[in-house]
Amino acid sequence: MRKLDDRNIDLGEIIPELDDHIIICRCEEITKGEIREAVHMGMFTMTEVKRLLRPGMGLCQGQTCSRYVRNIIAKELGVSPLEIEDNVARPPMRPIELQVFGNEVESE
Amino acid sequence: MKRYHVIVIGAGPAGLSAAIEAASHGMTVGLFDENARPGGQLFKQIHKFFGSKEHKAKIRGFRIGEELLAEAEKLGVEVHLNSTVMGIYFPMNKITVSNGESTTSYSGNNIILAAGASENAIPFDGWTLPGVMGAGAAQTLMNLHGVQPGKRILMVGSGNVGLVVGFQLIQSGCQLEAIIDAAPKIGGYGVHAAKVARTGVPFLLSHTIVRAEGTESVTGAVIAQVDEYFQPIPGTERHLDVDTILIATGLTPMSKLAEMTGCDMKEMGGKVPVVDQYGMTSIEGLYAAGDVSGIEEASSAMIGGRIAALAAAAKDGYIEQNEFEKSYSDYQSSLEKLRKGMFAKENRGKTLAVTDEGLPISTNLLKHGFLDEEEITSYPGMTSRQGIHPVIECTQNIPCNPCQDACKFGCIQVGADITRLPIADVKSECKNCGMCVAACPGQAIFLVEEDCGDHMAAVTLPYEFRPLPEVGEKGYGLSRRGEEICPATVLNVRLNPVFDHTAILTIQVPKEMAMRARFYRGSRKD
Amino acid sequence: MRIESHPIIDDFKKGKKVAFTYNGKELEGYEDEPIAATLKAAGIEIHRYTRKNHEPRGIYCAIGRCTDCVMVVDGVPNIRTCMTPLKGGMVIETQYGLGAKGAES
Repeated sequence: MRKLDDRNIDLGEIIPELDDHIIICRCEEITKGEIREAVHMGMFTMTEVKRLLRPGMGLCQGQTCSRYVRNIIAKELGVSPLEIEDNVARPPMRPIELQVFGNEVESE
Repeated sequence: MKRYHVIVIGAGPAGLSAAIEAASHGMTVGLFDENARPGGQLFKQIHKFFGSKEHKAKIRGFRIGEELLAEAEKLGVEVHLNSTVMGIYFPMNKITVSNGESTTSYSGNNIILAAGASENAIPFDGWTLPGVMGAGAAQTLMNLHGVQPGKRILMVGSGNVGLVVGFQLIQSGCQLEAIIDAAPKIGGYGVHAAKVARTGVPFLLSHTIVRAEGTESVTGAVIAQVDEYFQPIPGTERHLDVDTILIATGLTPMSKLAEMTGCDMKEMGGKVPVVDQYGMTSIEGLYAAGDVSGIEEASSAMIGGRIAALAAAAKDGYIEQNEFEKSYSDYQSSLEKLRKGMFAKENRGKTLAVTDEGLPISTNLLKHGFLDEEEITSYPGMTSRQGIHPVIECTQNIPCNPCQDACKFGCIQVGADITRLPIADVKSECKNCGMCVAACPGQAIFLVEEDCGDHMAAVTLPYEFRPLPEVGEKGYGLSRRGEEICPATVLNVRLNPVFDHTAILTIQVPKEMAMRARFYRGSRKD
Repeated sequence: MRIESHPIIDDFKKGKKVAFTYNGKELEGYEDEPIAATLKAAGIEIHRYTRKNHEPRGIYCAIGRCTDCVMVVDGVPNIRTCMTPLKGGMVIETQYGLGAKGAES
C-alpha cells in the first residue's frame, strides 16, 4: 500500500525540533509544531490539515504558506513533497465579500 | 455577456504583448489586471535590459512598459484595471471578474493566462515582524512610490532579484549592509553582483538568516554560516545592525487559475500548466504565457505572450498559415537567443568551470561578487595598450550585445552569437565618447588611459547615483571589492540624454591603479 | 523616508498633497499613492495586531497578496493598504484582529 494511504502507519513519537515555534501560516498564526502535531494525529493530506488547523483558510488563502505546509507534511511522513496533493483550486481566487459576490452586473 | 475574441488575464510584459499581438491581427481583446496600474513587474524595473536590439536591450524596463501600454491602447485593447479574475470556467470560456464592488462575467473565444508569479517566503524566527518583506515589495516602494523600505538593509538571496534590488537600494539612498545566500556561490549574473560589490557591500555566501530581532519591528538580524546540508553551524552566529530584512529567494508561478480550469499541470518549482510550443494548455483555447508557465524573465515573457496570441489568431483564422509560420519562426528564434549561455535552463544547477571560449569562469566573482586581480587579464574584453581604450569586464556568457552596437568605431565585437564574451579590438581607435560605458546593462565597461603622464592614469566609469560628484572634487578610488585604495580626482562628469541617466565619470588615479580602481567615493564631509 | 532625488526616476508622478488621520493624528500624504507607502514614508511600521497572538504586522508583499498590511480605513476593516489609494480625509486606524473594533477586543 502506498505510504500515504496506510492510515495505520505508526509515525512514532513526535520529536520536538528547535524551530517548532516558527509561524508558517501567517494569516492564521499556525506554527510548524502545530502542523507536525496534526500529521501525528493522523492528518496526512493538505486538506485534512487545513480543516483541522486552518492553514490556507485565512485572508491570503494559502498563497504564502501552502508550499511550506506541504513540505512539513511530507517531511513528517518521510515522502517527497511531490506526493502530497495540493488543496483543490476553486473559485473565488481571492477572498470576496458576499455583498460584492452577489452584486452581479451585466457586461455589455 | 460581453464576448471578446481574446481575454488576457494579467497586464504584465507577457499579457500586454499578447494583447498587442492579438489586436494587431484584428481580434477584439479584453485585458484584465487586479492592480490599479498595468505593467506587472515591468514598471519596477529601472535597470537596462540585456539581450539584443530585438529584445529591447539597454532600454530600462519601465520605458519598455510605457511603450507596450501605449501600443496596446492605440490598438484598441480594452484594459480593465482593479479587476480581479475570481474564477475561470471551461468549456464555457467564461471568466468572472470583481472590481471590489460588483462582479461581472465575460466570455472569450481564447483565454491567455499571464498572471505572473509571486515571491517565495522562507519562514525563520521573527519573519512576521514589520520590517521583513519581499525584495519585490521593497522594489515597489522605492521605484513606484519613491519611498525607502528602510534605512539599514539585509538582503537574503543572491539571485538576480537580490542583486538588482540590492543595487536599487543603494540608488535610493539606503544602506545595504550585506547580501547573504545559503548557497556557496552567487546565483545571479556576475555583472549585477560586481555593480554592488564595488560600492563596498559584502557578499556572505554559505550564510543563512537565523533570526530577525525586535518586538514591534526589526531592530537587527542574526545570521550564521551553514554547512553543506544548509544547516546553521553552531558558534558562527553574527549580529547585523539592520532595520529591514528583504527576502529574495525565488518566485513561484501563480497558477491557481490554471488549476481551476482542470488543464494538465506539472511540477516545476511550483505547479505550472503544461503547454505546447505555442503556449496552449491541454484545453483548447486556453493559453499560458510569461512567468505563470515557468519562471524566466520579462524579455522572454514578452515573446511568449506574442506567440500565444499568434497561435490563437491562426487558430481562429485571423492570419494565413504561411504568415503564422513565418512570424512564429521569427519569435521562436528570438526566444531561443535568450535561452542560451551560462544561465540557460539546461545549465541550471551545474557548476560550469569554463566559458564557451574555454576561459576559466571567475570563482572569485561567484564567491565574492568581484573579479580577482589575477583573473582580469585573461578575458578578451580586457586588453592593455597605449592611449584610451575600453576595458570590458564581462566574463560570463550571457545573451547580450548592446556594447557592440554602442561603439560606432568597431572597438567592441560580440558577433552573431550574442552569448559570446565581447572582444576589445586593439586595432580600432577609441574616441572616448563614453557610449559603451553607458550602454552596457551590466555597467561592466570602463575606459582606461593607463598612462596620461605624471605617473597618473584616468579611469572612466558608469555612475548611477546622486548626488553627482563635481569636476575637480577629490575623493577615493575604490577597488572592485569596494575598498578605498587610492586618492582620486574627478576630471570629468558627463550626463548626456543619450546615456539615459547613466553618468560617465572620469577619475584620475595613480598609474598603478589603472586596472584596479573601478569606483569612486567622495571624501566624507564630517 | 521619501527619496528626494533619484538617479533614474525623474518624477514619481505624485498627486496633490492631502491630509488624513492615522489613529486620530493628522498626517499628510500624496493623493492616490498607496496608503502603505504614505505610512512607510511617515515612519509607521505597524499596520495591525494579529487576532490570536496580538503580534504586530506590517508591509510584507506590497502587492495585495499576503494581507499583512490590512488596516481599518474609514471604519471598514481588512483594507489592503498596499493596494488602496490614499484620499484626503481618510480615517486610518491600526487594526486589531480581523474586525473593526479597537484594541480592547
